[in-house]
Amino acid sequence: MNRTRIAVVGIAAAFALLAAGLAGATTSSHAKGSHVSALKGTITFDGIWTSTSGQKQFQDVINLFNKTYPNVQVKYKPVGDNLPTVLATAIAGGKPPDMADIAQPGTVAQFAKQGKLKSIAYARSTIAANFAPAWLSLGTYSGKLYALPFKAANKSIVWYNVPAFKNAGVQAPKTFAQLLADAKTIKSSGTPAYSIGGADGWTLTDMFENIYLRTFGAAKYNLLGAHKIKWTDPSVKTALTTMGKILGDTSNIAGGTSGALQYGFNDSVTNAFASPAKAAMVFEADFVGGVITSSTKAKANTGFNTFTWPSITPGPDAGAVEIAGDLFVAFNDTPAIEAFVKFLATAPAAEAWAKQGGFGTGNKNVPASIYPDAITRTNEAPISTAKSVVFDMSDQQPPSFGATASQGEWGLFQDFLKTPSDVAGIQKKLEAAAAAAYKKGK
Amino acid sequence: MTAGGITAEPPVAAAPPPAAGPGRLGKYGTGAIFLGPALFLLGVWMVYPAVYTIVRSFFGEHGFIGTWVGIDNYKTLFTTSTLLTAIKNNAIWVAVVPALVTAIGLIFAVLTERVRWAVAFKTVVFLPMAISAFATGVTWRIMYQQDPGLGAVNALGKTISGVFSPAGVLSQASPSTPGLQTTSSGALVLKTATHPGGIVLLGLTGIAPDQVPKSAVQAVTPPPKPGDVVGTVWRDFKPGGGKVGVVEKQELGLPGVTVELRDAAGKTVQSTTSKPDGSFDFSKVSQGTYHAAIGAQTFAKPFGGYAWLGPNLIVPSLLIAYIWIWAGFAMVVIGAGLAAMPRDVLEAARTDGATEWQTFRRVTIPLLMPVLSVVFVTMIINVLKVFDIVYALAPQSEYAKANVIALAMYFTAFQGGGNFGVGSAIAVFLFILVVPVLALNIRRFRRDM
Amino acid sequence: MAAAAPAVEIPDPQDRVAAKVLRFAARAPIHLMLIVLGGLWLVPTIGLFLTSILPASNLASKGWWQIFTKPSVATWSNYDALFHNHGLITALKTTAYIAVGNTLLVVIVGAMAGYAFAWLDFPGRDWVFIGVIGLLVVPLQMALIPMFRLYDTFGLFDTWYGIALFHAAFGLPFAIFLLRNFFVGLPKDILESARIDGAGEIKIFVRLILPLGLPAIASLAIFQFLWTWNDLLVALTFGQNTTPITVWIAGQLREFGTSIDIIAPASFISLVIPLCVFFAFQRYFVQGLLAGSVK
Repeated sequence: MNRTRIAVVGIAAAFALLAAGLAGATTSSHAKGSHVSALKGTITFDGIWTSTSGQKQFQDVINLFNKTYPNVQVKYKPVGDNLPTVLATAIAGGKPPDMADIAQPGTVAQFAKQGKLKSIAYARSTIAANFAPAWLSLGTYSGKLYALPFKAANKSIVWYNVPAFKNAGVQAPKTFAQLLADAKTIKSSGTPAYSIGGADGWTLTDMFENIYLRTFGAAKYNLLGAHKIKWTDPSVKTALTTMGKILGDTSNIAGGTSGALQYGFNDSVTNAFASPAKAAMVFEADFVGGVITSSTKAKANTGFNTFTWPSITPGPDAGAVEIAGDLFVAFNDTPAIEAFVKFLATAPAAEAWAKQGGFGTGNKNVPASIYPDAITRTNEAPISTAKSVVFDMSDQQPPSFGATASQGEWGLFQDFLKTPSDVAGIQKKLEAAAAAAYKKGK
Repeated sequence: MTAGGITAEPPVAAAPPPAAGPGRLGKYGTGAIFLGPALFLLGVWMVYPAVYTIVRSFFGEHGFIGTWVGIDNYKTLFTTSTLLTAIKNNAIWVAVVPALVTAIGLIFAVLTERVRWAVAFKTVVFLPMAISAFATGVTWRIMYQQDPGLGAVNALGKTISGVFSPAGVLSQASPSTPGLQTTSSGALVLKTATHPGGIVLLGLTGIAPDQVPKSAVQAVTPPPKPGDVVGTVWRDFKPGGGKVGVVEKQELGLPGVTVELRDAAGKTVQSTTSKPDGSFDFSKVSQGTYHAAIGAQTFAKPFGGYAWLGPNLIVPSLLIAYIWIWAGFAMVVIGAGLAAMPRDVLEAARTDGATEWQTFRRVTIPLLMPVLSVVFVTMIINVLKVFDIVYALAPQSEYAKANVIALAMYFTAFQGGGNFGVGSAIAVFLFILVVPVLALNIRRFRRDM
Repeated sequence: MAAAAPAVEIPDPQDRVAAKVLRFAARAPIHLMLIVLGGLWLVPTIGLFLTSILPASNLASKGWWQIFTKPSVATWSNYDALFHNHGLITALKTTAYIAVGNTLLVVIVGAMAGYAFAWLDFPGRDWVFIGVIGLLVVPLQMALIPMFRLYDTFGLFDTWYGIALFHAAFGLPFAIFLLRNFFVGLPKDILESARIDGAGEIKIFVRLILPLGLPAIASLAIFQFLWTWNDLLVALTFGQNTTPITVWIAGQLREFGTSIDIIAPASFISLVIPLCVFFAFQRYFVQGLLAGSVK
């Protein structure tokens, strides 16, 4: 008899707790601002950032979130480079994490098409209040909103070795013609001008995309990105020929063509900023800064500095910015996840990381003053303020074309680096690969 | 064991002698106890995935199962060129590595038997197995880098070549004016002819400031001297470029450069070395037309390094790194086999008057056969599956050239869109490749029985 | 035979020295060859070690041999940074659980199965054995997805024993192959006499086979321990909070930029324990184990 009574009391207590919890959950989902919420939950999050590349900073963002939602536990798992494998396995195996950070819109599109992602339409108004419309469309597939571009990188930047430029007596070029002339002078001064990390094909696609963007403008760029313009188009020929002016100048590349093919992205940065420097410039994004400070002794302003990618065709898009982003997606939908996603779209979430450096965002409510130093400000502020913003074209392609080692764009641009004179041949191969990828829908 | 003769028979997997009954448990019961746990673990963790993979290979790209596509995946398999390269590469791996690894392991195991400090040597050879595949890739990247400043092998090459063919004072320089032209031998010749009493200006660019010899000072154009040919060889560059072909302030002379005076026929009449301010003086030149030149030895390039990770050498480089890792495995396992060898057979052979070599060949090796075949077969299968070292060591630009089946499977299934159907087909193809290996071994087992 | 011959021959001291010198001279080429080979073999490893004691910015333009010209640049700061990072010790402990757990399992289960294939008779024995060897070819990556689903169903996800079981199963084909071939080489008469004496199979296994097979079991243990110690993919896929050392290291690497100042020292820290296992099992590779055990 006693045992039954205890059991009944126990069950009743459990139900009471459950009811209270549910009540708390429903009321707190309306709580806003600094009102501490009783919402409970766990969120598993698989991400690329490791302890040396953003995990701590992201934890600061999570901690800020926990001030308003102290009972929601966000479990972040740093997976680094293995994210594609782990994520693919987990999804196919039927137990994906609650949220993940994916760098390629093309991959996100794939998951969306397979029906694995949950829509984040509940966050639409928050995102619209904080981001320009282009960012909303970046996360939208077949009319539904799936992804929040939380972190963005500015890819229209060139990093240069200050002493090398001083030795050569050149200033940061503003136009492409000036860039070529400066490169010649730098070569005469005894240092190759270009540091190219061709072993990582994406550095080459970034260069092509910046050239195409600055020659033909954002609208045409987006058409090519959506494969509405074929790769055999004359505009592509022009852009490739322009790119050949850099790639073909083999004595002006650190290590020559064969060296450029063996150097990866990391090597290309250390080549330009270690002493003695093997080259004077690196064409890459804002994250180069982190590599410089961690792998070389060069210091800001005295050792390295940046300038915007030189303009080619004058006009409103001459200063357009190419962005790469980390997109947050959700595989499940719970009140906890909804609260977290909405929080991440607000300015305080971005600021928690931005003020530590190494972070850029399209959130227009984040003031430029939040960035810790001048070079970071110059690099990151344009992401949210530039009039013309486009997204990394290769990342938007189906991954088999735009994001696979030694295949598709990455592999073909490496071939182009080997023979920059063969423009027509590369165009044909690019178009064939793109057509195959788009036809399969992947 | 055979008595007398010095040849040992390979051990035989005998049928157990008809003894006093199989025991309480019965034949099947005993077998079940001994085999049960293994069969359970293997069944769940290996047979089930293997069957799943085979089934999956007939279905489409995504999802746990996906849509039926029949043999489409296999058709894709055999028509993709990168996959054909992978198959060719794996063939090379199978032909080279298992034999070499087993042989090296055997030699090391036998040699270290006789040496007191065997453990130290064994540790050294074993160490590579203990380092993770990723770190091994990094280690050998450092060894193989083309730049002699960064790659160990090429650094050694540079030191050696520096002894035999030392680099010139200026390894990279270009003429600053078109009048100075490169000849086929590598020398720079000034096109305009000169006569005694003339001044020759040889301007060079493309020289980094820290490459200019330390003794250099501001370049100076010497005044003309009758009967002599004078001139300057200098770094024709100042910040901003400056005027080409003219000696300006801030431009340094280049000392130590070998300047030659060539007659109309191209023969070198005189040669001299430039001074710290870059000036040089050919004295007592007889009448005639001459051309000034900078000797090719000035530009002798230092050793540039072999492209170990380039398209031509990438596969051999990978093979070397892999053998470096796995020889330790062979050595340890064969060493275990040696340790358990019955000593009396060897003693009998020795007392019978056999030499070391004969004992080794006729007694040791046959007794070691089972262990040797384990090592050899395991290496064949490991090499068919090889992935880590190629992924970690080969630069991305060489993945296509160095491709192996497991790498192709990884990229197909998990990267670039994820086509599990074709990925599974590749895995099944790998299963099939092993069949001949097993068939050969069946014959060997049959012989044992 | 009648004459009293001395029981012990006292060797001539001169002979002993001469004999020793002769033996050394005969061995000298072997010693030399081993020293040279060992030295060559060691170069990449030493390179990695020297890399680990140099600051990353020094390695950007010069290789690790710069330490010979400027030894003062060497520093332990890379190691310091790793040790100050909490989580290293926990990671090592987790790895130890997984590695020791699955090695024990593989050795026991593998030895039993190896004995069964070598000395027990049952129908289809050899075909099943061939099948087991064939399983060697199953690539790890293809087992991930089906096992992921299975683990989720049975709640094995994110447990150290879940990961250990996975490794144990994958280590079994090699274990069975090695041990069976090894056991087959054991002297038949020992087993025969034991069976005639009426010993049950289990007793034979424990009292005879295991001790005789120690060298093979030792080498199996070394490698199984090693392979699980260095595994990354399985732990990454099936773990969330369970982080062995490889996952921990992977979680330290930079997204961009060389992480050589993390990889190099971490490799050596991670090396220590497998190396200790190797040393510990060395004594089982002593010759003559067999002699005198026939009792």
